[in-house]
Amino acid sequence: MLTGEFIAFMALALVAIIGGVLLINLTKVIHMVVALVFTFVSIAGIFVILSAEFIAAVQILIYSGAITIIMLFGIMLTRHDDTSEPITGKWRKLFLLLGVLGFGVAVYIGIYNLDIPQAANTLHVDNTEQIGISLYSHFIIPFELTSVLLLVALIGAIVLAKKDEDDEKEAEKE
Amino acid sequence: MIEDLLYSSPGWTNVGIFFLLGAALLMVVLGFVTYAILAERKVMGFMQLRHGPNQVGGRWGLLQTVADVLKLLLKEDTIPKLADRPLFILAPIIAFAPAFMVLATIPFTDRFQFADIGVGLLYYIAISGLTTIGIVTGGWASNNKYALLGGMRAAAQMVSYEIPLVMSVVGVILLAGSLNLNEIVEAQRSGWFIILQPIGFIVFLIASVAELNRAPFDLPEAESELVAGFHVEYSGFRWAFFMLAEYVYFFAMASLTTVLFLGGWLPLPFLGFIPGAVWFALKFSLVIFILIWFRVTFPRIRADQLMEFGWKVLLPVALANIFITAIVKQLFFM
Repeated sequence: MLTGEFIAFMALALVAIIGGVLLINLTKVIHMVVALVFTFVSIAGIFVILSAEFIAAVQILIYSGAITIIMLFGIMLTRHDDTSEPITGKWRKLFLLLGVLGFGVAVYIGIYNLDIPQAANTLHVDNTEQIGISLYSHFIIPFELTSVLLLVALIGAIVLAKKDEDDEKEAEKE
Repeated sequence: MIEDLLYSSPGWTNVGIFFLLGAALLMVVLGFVTYAILAERKVMGFMQLRHGPNQVGGRWGLLQTVADVLKLLLKEDTIPKLADRPLFILAPIIAFAPAFMVLATIPFTDRFQFADIGVGLLYYIAISGLTTIGIVTGGWASNNKYALLGGMRAAAQMVSYEIPLVMSVVGVILLAGSLNLNEIVEAQRSGWFIILQPIGFIVFLIASVAELNRAPFDLPEAESELVAGFHVEYSGFRWAFFMLAEYVYFFAMASLTTVLFLGGWLPLPFLGFIPGAVWFALKFSLVIFILIWFRVTFPRIRADQLMEFGWKVLLPVALANIFITAIVKQLFFM
């Protein structure tokens, strides 16, 4: 049955997969990062189809900033015209093909007759509010611990960066 | 009307209707951009004691921008030989598409809105971040040191100022109790949020100017340092796309400021007989005028001052505003 939802899902899924494949196959760093953008945005689109708008918005919010930073790292930490060389080998290719086919068959057999009973739920109604309530009441301790972990990482990064500067100053004095 | 269309069964008629609606909005936006550029040049001219455009299209230069755009479209399309060709072509599109997508959620009046998304505010902020990727890509693909510097400045600036921007609207979200732009407007019936959230409004206004890359925060395209920043190598209609994206964001950001802090389409007391669309247009024009005024008045700030101001002033102020708003809400509104 051809519904609008199905067409949208197929389009988004295709873009996501093509983005992923290009990410692996392209040779320049920046091209890979741009391919990654398409994958992330279309996954956000799939979240919208599943009526999880909050997750979709957060996915784009987080990853658009993150990808910009990855891009800057890609520009600054790699050589300008560097390309990765393809590693080829006859046997290697054959084994890879077999592996991929085997995985495909295994997943197909596993998924084809899988029956997930559909429980009636109200998750699609006001899901932003539901996420907020469960995050701040049922899962408050893990949530706070995660934020402490992030804070520790942030301070650690600052300490590491600061130390380098002091060392450089001492080195200059000497 | 849009709601009915969204829940009806899909078909080619719906595709056609959506396409026409989108095209109509694009035309409205293009018309706005044409006259926003003219208005900007005129206001800047008057503030600097000159006339501004006054030759093409009568005394007010009404056709000046049209002539400029026609010139741009007729220009030769140059792509530098050593540029990264696919990315060079893709970058203006990545920069422009989110600018137009963002307009879908903004409620212009209580009836005139394209998508009533539950997380409309978050959607706006998330999608607008994608433009940075287009700018950095364009800067890198040009294979030019000025363009690359401009692109990297754009990335640093937009990532830094997105945080105070989001933090400053948290106060509004707390008071309205919703991320939906319609509900935020409805929550302002008793008082606009500019009165309840003055600190949030100021932080939002400053951060929004920075997000728009306009003076005094136009470092990514600082013409006296970087020639033209990230779009040095672009010309003709590709350059026009970057400019278009910038002015569409101008439109969108002014609309968002109106919706969040100035009560959207809601009238002033005793003036309810004037329709909502007129109120929205008036408030929107006021915000546009203030943004142009900023551009004429303030000198550009240095890159290090920009970062320091964002992280050491705006962010703490915005966090303090959230704290105070939460206390005020607990004490007086619960």
